[in-house]
Amino acid sequence: MGTGFKIKKAILYILLILLGAVCLLPFLLMLVNATRSGVEIVNSFTLIPSTHLKENWDTVFKFFNLFQGMWNSIKVAVPATLLTAYFSALTAYGLAMYEFKGNKFIFTMILVFMMIPGQLGLIGFYNLCTRLHLVNSYIPLIIPAIAAPGTVFFLRQYVLSVLPPSLVEAARIDGASELYSFHRIVLPIMSPGIATMAIMAFIGNWNNYLLPMIILNKNEKFTLPVMMATLKASTDIQSNQGAIYLAVAISVIPILLVFCFCSKYIISSISAGSVKE
Amino acid sequence: MKRKKLLTVLLAGALTLSCMACGGSEGTTSNTDGATDGTATEAADDTAADSTSETGDKLVIWTLSNDLIDFGKRFEEQTGTPVETIVIEPANYPTKVQTALLAGEKEPDIIVGEPKMLEDFYDAGFFADLNEFGAQDYADQIVDYVWEVGQDADGIQRAISYQITPAGIYYRRDIAKEVFGTDDPEEIGKLFADYPTILNTAQELKAAGYRIFSSDAEMNVFSGDSAWVVDGVLNVDQSRIDYMDLCVQLYQGDLTAYANQWSTPWYQAMAGEVPILTADIQNYADDSVNVWDAEQFAEATQGMDTTEVFAFGLPSWGVLTLRDNVKDTSGLWGVCAGPAYGFDGGTYIGISSNSERKDTAWEFVKFCTLNEETADWWIEYSQGDSVSLKSALEKHKDDANEVYGGQKLYEFWLGQAEGIDTSKVTRYDQAIGDAWGNAISAIKTGEKTKDDAIAEFYDVIESTYPDITVNR
Repeated sequence: MGTGFKIKKAILYILLILLGAVCLLPFLLMLVNATRSGVEIVNSFTLIPSTHLKENWDTVFKFFNLFQGMWNSIKVAVPATLLTAYFSALTAYGLAMYEFKGNKFIFTMILVFMMIPGQLGLIGFYNLCTRLHLVNSYIPLIIPAIAAPGTVFFLRQYVLSVLPPSLVEAARIDGASELYSFHRIVLPIMSPGIATMAIMAFIGNWNNYLLPMIILNKNEKFTLPVMMATLKASTDIQSNQGAIYLAVAISVIPILLVFCFCSKYIISSISAGSVKE
Repeated sequence: MKRKKLLTVLLAGALTLSCMACGGSEGTTSNTDGATDGTATEAADDTAADSTSETGDKLVIWTLSNDLIDFGKRFEEQTGTPVETIVIEPANYPTKVQTALLAGEKEPDIIVGEPKMLEDFYDAGFFADLNEFGAQDYADQIVDYVWEVGQDADGIQRAISYQITPAGIYYRRDIAKEVFGTDDPEEIGKLFADYPTILNTAQELKAAGYRIFSSDAEMNVFSGDSAWVVDGVLNVDQSRIDYMDLCVQLYQGDLTAYANQWSTPWYQAMAGEVPILTADIQNYADDSVNVWDAEQFAEATQGMDTTEVFAFGLPSWGVLTLRDNVKDTSGLWGVCAGPAYGFDGGTYIGISSNSERKDTAWEFVKFCTLNEETADWWIEYSQGDSVSLKSALEKHKDDANEVYGGQKLYEFWLGQAEGIDTSKVTRYDQAIGDAWGNAISAIKTGEKTKDDAIAEFYDVIESTYPDITVNR
């Protein structure tokens, strides 16, 4: 407990505070810029809020109803995330715990599909949607979320590392059906991994731009990123700069909420072991 | 135990929720899809240009600029036809239109394009033939270059713009009077007549304590005086070389204020005094000065020599950019002709070839571009945009713009627009122009010799466009 320890601690704290500041500064800037006019933003950089919040708010809402966009985004992101989480966990569990012919092959195929960028089949996808009359609906944005190769890959590795096969065997001996033991035993054990992937999936779905931009053709159906992009289509970009910041600032709120919720969940799940259950 | 229950509840909720969401969106889409339901009959690939059956009297516009929202509203007020305007950000507009129209989407009736996208859209057959609606009857009413840009390679009219966007030089009248003894646009125009003259003008201004331009890229809008590609052969005209030499000399001769276009000092130069930066700052080689941040910028450049900038080279929409940024120098500006004719941008309106409401759509195109009353309204509403309708420009030719010392701008823009030769516009302009710009940067900073840089430029073009013949 000498002065050396104190100095070390002080240095650590200073470094951590610096790191915190570096991480938070962009957020702060975004919030400050949301209150400034476009001309001010182009001309200078400051952390002192300005007085143009109301104007920016009006600009944003003159173009579209931000809350409508948020609601639309929720309608897409929440079901898509839940589907991704549930079905990826199911697939991962199946691939990790059951031995059957073609298991390896399927897993390899999943790895291969991870590497194909989804943008490649846009025109075909649109064509498919027109024929199924799904243009302008959220179904083509939600249902494909069931197949998430990246998430399956991650969760498979996760199941292998956290789930002892004997646990499932014990359930079987006690007469539990396969699906029952998955829901009652495997899912809770996997929940930290699922929560992690769910955060990723939610952020991905929330920020998804290309597909909604292509599939949705109605102003009132646009999701948040598509709506915000239209602010950039203004003839005078400069004057909309503040409005863009405001829109982004508002759109980040749900992500922050989800993150707070899920990260708490991860920590609490990690501290609870499977045996205790 | 609790968590297990929570999880099952959550999952059950997830499933029902997603089902509800799907059901819900299905319910709401059924009416919007209703329009296509009847006619689409799984024959989406058949673009059926002949089926002009009216499916409900409304109009759907897919656009990349907000202007058409206002046009749409006005059209709706006057005709009673409901107009739905979808704005898509310019960067992704081509992707959206291509994907949808190639997949046979019938929804948009009106699609638009900027000159750089138009040729690709023409080739893909996205725009309907306007001649079928008698567009050629109106040929004399629109400024010629706009009319020609709206035609495809076979001369068929595909799109019309409501704007003209000719380039001009915006200059400070007070500085002109002091240095050259006159602020007459005619006389000042002579100082910008060709690239060697511009260099002289620049030196004269420097001797008087001013700088001719804020950045060395101001003449770029005029540099399209020759076509980049002629009959499949890359064409590097003498004027391109002259433009390159001018940029290099402006830069190496310390004749500009070393700002970059659209950066803070560039905007500031519109309002008066700015510090003279160094070449290193412009290249970001010296990062002691943050050119995107005015306060830091003011601090870092304290003690540097300041100057005032004489001129900017921008298309006609620069009228609005300057208006917002000139502050105290309002009224001290003038506009004159540059070393060549040029234009940049403009929104061209056409009819989607898949549209089922082509007649209404044509009414809208006419309303935006050929209606004098609309043009009058737009000039006032946009506070100084220049329209493409000749009669409206004629009518407003005596309008004096106070920011520009009461200069009559519409007359001037009409004159500039008449000089534009659209045969010099090719689909390669953007890419080749960028490559040429890179070569210029490499030479001016001394990174490469002129020969090396040009040789590399040829390499880039050859590898990007294998079908263009390059004669070195």
